[in-house]
Amino acid sequence: MDNKNTPKKKKSFLQLLFIKAFGTGKKKLSILEEEQMQGPVRTIIKNFTSNRLSMTGLIVFLLIFAVVIIGPFFVKLDLSYTETSQQNVNPGLDLMKVPSSLEGKVAEISVGPTYTIAVSDSGQLYMWGKTKITSTLNLKYVPSNMGKIKRISAGFDHILALNEEGKVFAWGNDRQKQCAVPDKVKELTNIVDVIAGYQCSVILTADGHTYFFGNEANNDYKNTHNYQGQIVKVVTTADAVLGLTKDGQAVYLGKQSNGYTKMPENMGTVVDVAATASTMAAVNSDGKVFVWGNLSERGEGKVPEITSKIVALEAGRYHYTGITEDGKAIAWGFDNYNQASVPASVKNSKVVKLFTGAYQNYAVTDSGKILTWGLKGYLLGSDDLGRDILNRLINGGRMSMTIGAIAVIISTIIGVIIGGVSGFFGGKVDIILQRIVEIVSGLPFLPFAMILSALLGNALSSNQRIYLMMIILGLLQWPSLSRLVRAQVFSEREKEFVTAAKAVGVKQMSIVFKHILPNVISVIIVTATLDFATCMLTEATLSYLGFGVPAPQPTWGNMLYGCNNSIVIQNYWWRWVFTSIVLGICVICINLTGDGLRDAIDPKSQER
Amino acid sequence: MLKYIGKRVLYMIFVFFIMSLVMFFLYNLIPGDPARAELEPLKKTMRPEAYQMRYEQLRKQMGLDDPIIVKYGKWIGGVLQGDFGMSTRHKKPVVDLIKAPMGNTIFINIFATILALGISIPLGIKCAVKRNSVMDNVVQVLTIVGYSLPIFIITLVSIFLFAVTLRWFPVSGMNTPNFHGTGIVFFLDRMHYLALPLIVMTIGSLGGMTRYVRAAMIEALRMDYIRTARAKGLKEKVVIYSHAWRNALLPVITLIIGWFISIFSGSLVIEQMFNLNGMGKFYMDALMNQDYNVALAVQMFYMVVALIGNLIIDLSYGFVDPRVRVNH
Repeated sequence: MDNKNTPKKKKSFLQLLFIKAFGTGKKKLSILEEEQMQGPVRTIIKNFTSNRLSMTGLIVFLLIFAVVIIGPFFVKLDLSYTETSQQNVNPGLDLMKVPSSLEGKVAEISVGPTYTIAVSDSGQLYMWGKTKITSTLNLKYVPSNMGKIKRISAGFDHILALNEEGKVFAWGNDRQKQCAVPDKVKELTNIVDVIAGYQCSVILTADGHTYFFGNEANNDYKNTHNYQGQIVKVVTTADAVLGLTKDGQAVYLGKQSNGYTKMPENMGTVVDVAATASTMAAVNSDGKVFVWGNLSERGEGKVPEITSKIVALEAGRYHYTGITEDGKAIAWGFDNYNQASVPASVKNSKVVKLFTGAYQNYAVTDSGKILTWGLKGYLLGSDDLGRDILNRLINGGRMSMTIGAIAVIISTIIGVIIGGVSGFFGGKVDIILQRIVEIVSGLPFLPFAMILSALLGNALSSNQRIYLMMIILGLLQWPSLSRLVRAQVFSEREKEFVTAAKAVGVKQMSIVFKHILPNVISVIIVTATLDFATCMLTEATLSYLGFGVPAPQPTWGNMLYGCNNSIVIQNYWWRWVFTSIVLGICVICINLTGDGLRDAIDPKSQER
Repeated sequence: MLKYIGKRVLYMIFVFFIMSLVMFFLYNLIPGDPARAELEPLKKTMRPEAYQMRYEQLRKQMGLDDPIIVKYGKWIGGVLQGDFGMSTRHKKPVVDLIKAPMGNTIFINIFATILALGISIPLGIKCAVKRNSVMDNVVQVLTIVGYSLPIFIITLVSIFLFAVTLRWFPVSGMNTPNFHGTGIVFFLDRMHYLALPLIVMTIGSLGGMTRYVRAAMIEALRMDYIRTARAKGLKEKVVIYSHAWRNALLPVITLIIGWFISIFSGSLVIEQMFNLNGMGKFYMDALMNQDYNVALAVQMFYMVVALIGNLIIDLSYGFVDPRVRVNH
């Protein structure tokens, strides 16, 4: 009998959950039939599932819940991650959207932090990605009459171009004078290359001289370095300049002595150099790669072992790529956006040219096709520290929900115990407990939570503050539940089954918690659901005000911290819009579920 | 009745002292040495021995070495005489500092309360009367959205819409900087600045209040006397406004009273976001700048307001509803 019943019950529940939500369930039974056939729990479920609004709320909430609980296993969160070059990037996945008209005629591609610029065989300029730098400055406003472009270079926030006649053009951010081409460069007629770095520009002439302009305080460069007249290639890190001489020597072009000057010895004849944001690399005629500079755990120095010779090097922000002599692309270094994982399509084709920069890689195959890998963009944009908002939204959701859930558990336990004891025993116990309830409910919630967090929070670590938040919320939330439970227990304790239990000699505590409590469980569930929404809201408000969970640990509340000024509200709208929407929808859904539950449990509201 | 009030007031005083003790202990957990902070500017001009002596003297004078219960006694004695100590940031008595923000908060909140009540009561009645109509369902969903959205999201959206995009209202502040009008011009300028916070406050409180009024009204409409009134052939208007609404008013009045009490406390979030010089912002600034005498005073004020509010609400139950006379 039991075995037969269980699967049937389950099926009917699923039916109710999914089919009835969309109004295709069975015919409604009359009250008598319904009550004859179903126990109270099933009636509640039935009532609940027939309420489409609250069912929708429950399903949407469960979806969000599933995403934020399962999501963090796939979208890993790196708490210490910040990236200056990726600040406030607009939402969109178009950072590697190569225009189809460029296919087959690429002369050069240069990658900037959030944009890419390319020049075709015919000297035509192409640009894609996010070119907006500030509200007034946009890199897509290229100077007119440049003629046929020969070389192009994308800097941090400016672009350098060299045309056929050897004339240099610069546009973009000019705050450090990186776009102000000096007169002595304008007079030159033998320019062969332009290199745009971080707030600086380097010009290379055919006779091996280099000229530098832009931010000299940040970039270590010595104007009268010993290698003037010998340089054939120049690359820049975020703060230094590396040159390659015509006799195959990698040389540092700055005046300081630092990590970059500690070059590996016995490099042999260097054929190519490249530089990430903080490291430099060189490959010699034997195909051996040397990496030096400020190596980090990101893995720029972990050159993979390969059998064939590397002939050319390229570098992104924190990763390197190279082409081997048989046209294979390899990559190593920081792999947070898969920029150092060469996809199979590239591995299987012969690469002729490889262009790498920031987090993007473009490989031109022998058939002229452009294959890309790396960071496509941020679906929901990035925040003021260059972190992916989608990633933080998922991970922050887990934190927000965990805090809400644990706070509710704490407050429910306290509320049930105090309400139950107070309601059952009455008398002096009740009076004392009611005074405590009065004290706690008399506390102005938000100010008191703020004060606790401000006073106790200073001495605590980031993790401890998260626990503190849970406890504060739990300790301040319970009075309303305890009052409800007390009132219910008051009415229940006069009933016959309690008298019977007393007569049999059941212990008082077990009468309260085993006999009476199951009768008031519905009130508890409804209140706990609604309290969960309140806790999430309060946590968000506290974190938003800066008194809750401290950064960098994301929650939906503290992701909105700092969004309260008109610049962010207008220009960086993605930093608050998506988080607000998700938080709003989530709380609305919980409230809908709670309201639906209350209606389903309370027979009075059914209006039969 | 009087006996009950007397008992409640006694409880209240008891609770007040317990709470103030807890608060005082909490604030005293903060590490810091006010005497050293006081002498810091003089440190360079004095010889070390003289400095040490002055320091010891000051510590004694300030009573820093007293046991905490003695310190509490001194402090609560001052509080009862209206002396909340000095603000370490402004170097002024807390009582003087608190006047301006409290005035502003009351000014803003009176408007907000009137607006919210003026909209939510008619709306709630209408929804209850036309229960399960399309309008009722729409309002139900909207009010759920209204009370589910945190107030700062409503504020962000309204700043984006009305201040940044449409440019109808200023983004923040209470007056045009360096404004020199008086009288009606000053008032109009102030209202122009306060319009957006008022809208946000009203929207924020609309959801919960409308639902509350609706629930009370539905409860009243379900009563037998309504059926009787209808059976007598009374006009629907009379039934609703005279019979039902009067009875629904009972729970609503307590809500209104509670609301009026909260006008003193101000909204932390809204005042912070619109940069309004009210109690909420005053409190936050004090917390942020570690001006703990001020924060403690505001906290005590909040507590007293909440306690008195609770008492008035309990008493008003009996006052407006003869059936619930409180005479335990």
